[in-house]
Amino acid sequence: MKLTELFAKGTFVFTGEVGPVKGCSRVNGGPPPEFVQEALSIKDYVHAVNVTDNQSAVMRLGALAASVLVKQAGVEPIFQITCRDRNRLALQSELMSACTLGIDNVLCLTGDHIRLGDHVSAKPVFDVDSVQLLKIAKGLNEGRDMVGNPLTQPTDLALGAVVNPGFEPLDLQLLKMEKKIEQGAQFFQTQAVYDPIIFETFIKKAEQFKVPIMYGLLVVKSPKMAQFINENVSGITVPKWLIRELESVAPQGRKEKALEISLRLAKEMAPMVQGIHFMPLGWSDLIPPIVKELRG
Amino acid sequence: MIGTTKKPLEEVLAALAPYRKVAVVGCDGCAKICQTGGVDEVAQLARTLEAHGKEIVFEATPERTCNVAKSDPILKPLTDKIQEADALLVLGCGGAVQITRYLTEQYGLTKPVKVGLNSVGHLDTVVPGAVAMEECSDCGECVLNDTGGICPVTRCAKSLLNGPCGGAEGGKCEVDHNRDCAWILIYERLKALGETDKLKRFMEPKDFSKMAKPRTLYIKEGRVAS
Repeated sequence: MKLTELFAKGTFVFTGEVGPVKGCSRVNGGPPPEFVQEALSIKDYVHAVNVTDNQSAVMRLGALAASVLVKQAGVEPIFQITCRDRNRLALQSELMSACTLGIDNVLCLTGDHIRLGDHVSAKPVFDVDSVQLLKIAKGLNEGRDMVGNPLTQPTDLALGAVVNPGFEPLDLQLLKMEKKIEQGAQFFQTQAVYDPIIFETFIKKAEQFKVPIMYGLLVVKSPKMAQFINENVSGITVPKWLIRELESVAPQGRKEKALEISLRLAKEMAPMVQGIHFMPLGWSDLIPPIVKELRG
Repeated sequence: MIGTTKKPLEEVLAALAPYRKVAVVGCDGCAKICQTGGVDEVAQLARTLEAHGKEIVFEATPERTCNVAKSDPILKPLTDKIQEADALLVLGCGGAVQITRYLTEQYGLTKPVKVGLNSVGHLDTVVPGAVAMEECSDCGECVLNDTGGICPVTRCAKSLLNGPCGGAEGGKCEVDHNRDCAWILIYERLKALGETDKLKRFMEPKDFSKMAKPRTLYIKEGRVAS
């Protein structure tokens, strides 16, 4: 099921996110790998689950293989594809492979720089950027590759993109968002943002684009994680109030506190958007209570 | 210019280990600016090599060793000396090394030509004698007309052509928090010029065939072939 069809029907869309394991996931009849189990645990509460692509430039099981496993388990995957590790031939080939293997949704990303990951001496690719990738993917959907050669069969993929509402200057990020839409982006998931005022400012400016936007909610698990994000994760700022709230409870109460904060943020942002994208970093069990509450 | 840094002495000595009589060729162009291979550095290294038991056959420092027109008039008269040397050590960029090798072959000589420097690439002097920065990637398809004279191919860590990634914070790049985000610089510059409309234009994927190696420049025709 394509997310675009849900948006077209006016459905308020929920999505989760899982990260493939660092290793082979051949189970030989055993229990499904952890990331599939995590996807299954939220199956009834989300419409689809993002499958990350060497997230944070850390080498893992391929996002396409992992997406297919998620799909086989009965959960709709959103295959994330980045420009960091593939040139234009590999990107197009991978998109056609994804469609061939039954993937309906892709999220087209530039990708974190290799310098931030676990293979810092690798050669970064970045042959094309995310805007160009969207145009390429749109072309494949229309039955031609990026140099105009016809495909035996076009792809049929819903094309997602990301935008960072917390970016300064915001207008520069909006310019890029507009370009992404012009080149083929059909829906957006936002980077994590915790300040409703910043988010509202962004939404007011982005509304004109008339494209579905999903609020990106990264669950902050502890003050230590907040500090790590603020020091090491570019483009995201965890505000002081959120850190103070997490600090106000003992470590064993943090999960409940994280749920309370996430629920509050989800409720606050929901009226402004067409969906919520949860980035729970393993705490997917926080998603059902939030979705239940929002669905009433 | 081509930026260069000095190789560690141990590495230079290891490369020269089999040879006793060494000729040292510097470069009074880029390597002089980088303080790695001008007349002074050539003399300095020659003395150090002597202290390590080498016999220095000659020291020469063409104005631009990578340029045959500059290096041939200096090296050709030294053909006999080159013949006498067991090896040549070049304090220049990799281009200077290869042009030196090319010339020795032109003189009918087969001599080991070693490099004493590491080439960093096309750099531009920002603070003379102190800082040089990479501002151009020699991509063969210049976009500076549309980007306020700031190159995203070089100065954006991801070489993005259609605007910034989402990773910049406080105007700094996600890869290096001491480095400005190239796209924010471009945005500010275009804003000051009243040309932010240029940012709306979609930039097509780059034609990297213009960077296919090795490139050859036919100077008279102004033509690049690969």
